[in-house]
Amino acid sequence: MSTEAVRIEGVSKTFDPDVRALVDIDLTVEDGEFLVIIGLSGSGKSTLLRCINRLIDPTAGRIWLFGEEMTGAQGARLRRLRTQIGMIFQQFNLVKRHTVLTNVLSGSLGRSSLLGTLLLRYSEEEVRQARAALERVDLGGRGRSRADRLSGGQQQRVAVARALMQRPRLILADEPVASLDPALRHSVMRHIESLNRDEGMTVLCTLHDVDLVRRYATRLVALRDGRLVYEGSPDDFDNDTFRDIYGTDAEPATGQLLGAAGAAGEETA
Amino acid sequence: MTRGYARLKALVVDWVLVSLFLLMVEFLVISFSGRRGPTGLLVSPEETLDLLHYAWIGIAALVLTLGWQLARGERGMSPGWSAVFGEEGDEAIPWTHTLRGWFTALLIELTFLTGWLITEVQLVTFLTQFNKATDIVRGLVNPSGEVLHQGLVLLVQTIFLAFMATAFAIPVAFALSFFAARNLTRGSGLARLMYTVVRALMNITRSVEPLVWALIFISWVGIGPFAGVLALWVHSVAALVKLYSEQIESIDHGPVEAITATGASTLQVLRYGVVPQVIPPFLSFTIYRWDINVRMSTIIGFVGGGGIGYILKPRVDLGQWGEVGTLVILIAITVWAMDIISAKIRERIV
Ligand SMILES: Nc1ncnc2c1ncn2[C@@H]1O[C@H](COP(=O)(O)OP(=O)(O)O)[C@@H](O)[C@H]1O
Ligand SMILES: [Mg+2]
Repeated sequence: MSTEAVRIEGVSKTFDPDVRALVDIDLTVEDGEFLVIIGLSGSGKSTLLRCINRLIDPTAGRIWLFGEEMTGAQGARLRRLRTQIGMIFQQFNLVKRHTVLTNVLSGSLGRSSLLGTLLLRYSEEEVRQARAALERVDLGGRGRSRADRLSGGQQQRVAVARALMQRPRLILADEPVASLDPALRHSVMRHIESLNRDEGMTVLCTLHDVDLVRRYATRLVALRDGRLVYEGSPDDFDNDTFRDIYGTDAEPATGQLLGAAGAAGEETA
Repeated sequence: MTRGYARLKALVVDWVLVSLFLLMVEFLVISFSGRRGPTGLLVSPEETLDLLHYAWIGIAALVLTLGWQLARGERGMSPGWSAVFGEEGDEAIPWTHTLRGWFTALLIELTFLTGWLITEVQLVTFLTQFNKATDIVRGLVNPSGEVLHQGLVLLVQTIFLAFMATAFAIPVAFALSFFAARNLTRGSGLARLMYTVVRALMNITRSVEPLVWALIFISWVGIGPFAGVLALWVHSVAALVKLYSEQIESIDHGPVEAITATGASTLQVLRYGVVPQVIPPFLSFTIYRWDINVRMSTIIGFVGGGGIGYILKPRVDLGQWGEVGTLVILIAITVWAMDIISAKIRERIV
């Protein structure tokens, strides 16, 4: 196959009763890209990402992952395809009562023995890999802490380590820094960039911040009302294109795009 | 819901209410004319089962209901109509100005009067004959030491009976609760079927009182504490499944999504995404259940299910109030202590 990481053809998603979250999306993501998706909240960004790893089933259309069809896959085949896709969430979604190390180890659930994982038992090799992943995100000493004892930025880095442990070929990051203090956004984005540059993972990331888009994206697409309305290079992304995408009322004030979820998590530790 | 169906519903509600109204009026007339039978209801079993008689009342009620609907213009809405369709207009009319107000008020009066007669309320007896109960009170304040030893032994049995019932209930309720949680059973048709079956079975089981379960298990395994264990076990499973599954339904779905996205299998998603979130509340519910079971196991012996109730019942029957006093005090102390202990533990967990 070619260098296509993801191919999306004619994908639509309609939620009950009649919410058209995605309308006939065509999009190809090249292998190795850092593709950023922008758009107002409610424009369908999360829905699009979740359709790719089938946390949501699209109503119509087809999706391929490195040449293998995602849509229609079931059971073991679907699970095997999902091991190829790591996901990072706005709310981190760690298992709060588990240790940081166990959270990182859960990235390997798709390939570890069922019985072992049910008893939270992992091989020495797996534990070694998990510790290395934690070192990579500068949390080497925190493996034994309970996940919810960490600050927001640290939790999101644990989520990055979990993705690292999973060793996928594609990363879906859904507003990975929207819940973080603006001052800490780069500390997380840097690690996601490293997944892209050093590990060769393709990244699909939704963002709200003009600075972050310019700094990290290799390509940019925009959604409005479930439709793909813009595609271009982050270098061409200026205030005029911004208004094209978000509407003339929008104002790219203080580097923050309209519709960004507020910074809810505080960094305390 | 179509308009026709709604109208039918309103009519049925009205019809039932008017029928009840007529039945109670009839009952009161019979009662005060001195023809009340031994059952306190109608005069004779034959009359009680006279279906034709009820048919007439039903027809009369239907006629009245329909008449009310036809006269809705002048007389105002009927109760069923306003329950189904809501109020018309925004003027607040005092209840004394509407037929519905008078009907409802009379219906409540009638129900109270009927209840008074059926439950044989005797206010005078209640207020004047307290002295007959003083024996019991005297027994309670002068407990006899005679049953103290046997009482203590059976008290230990009571607590363990409750404990075993709870312990046996935990794994069964744990496993079943996943099938009884709506949010985990949306996937396949089989999962939805399991949900319906488990829910229905548990609702039926829970609606049968532990004392009835005790009677069933006594004929199964014989009189004794084990029958009591089984009775409380069955009831606890049903109660815990309800509490557990409601807890599962309220979990944060984020971790479930995150674990699913790694390519984990269903069991792994449950183990990592669901179980860690529900363990503390499950523990809390379980201890609370043990607390309730201790309370229930003190009376399960009344029907032969073991525990302290087993020696309490004959002493009540024989009027040995001193011994009854000892046992009641033992029970009160235990229940009170369990209450405090379980509250303290639950505080720590959550
Ligand atoms: N599970 C759901 N059920 C119903 N509607 C949904 C659901 N998820 C998202 N939507 C709707 O789909 C649209 C797109 O939502 P989403 O993909 O979350 O947008 P974004 O991530 O860009 O903010 C919104 O109108 C939202 O209300
Ligand atoms: Mg979103």
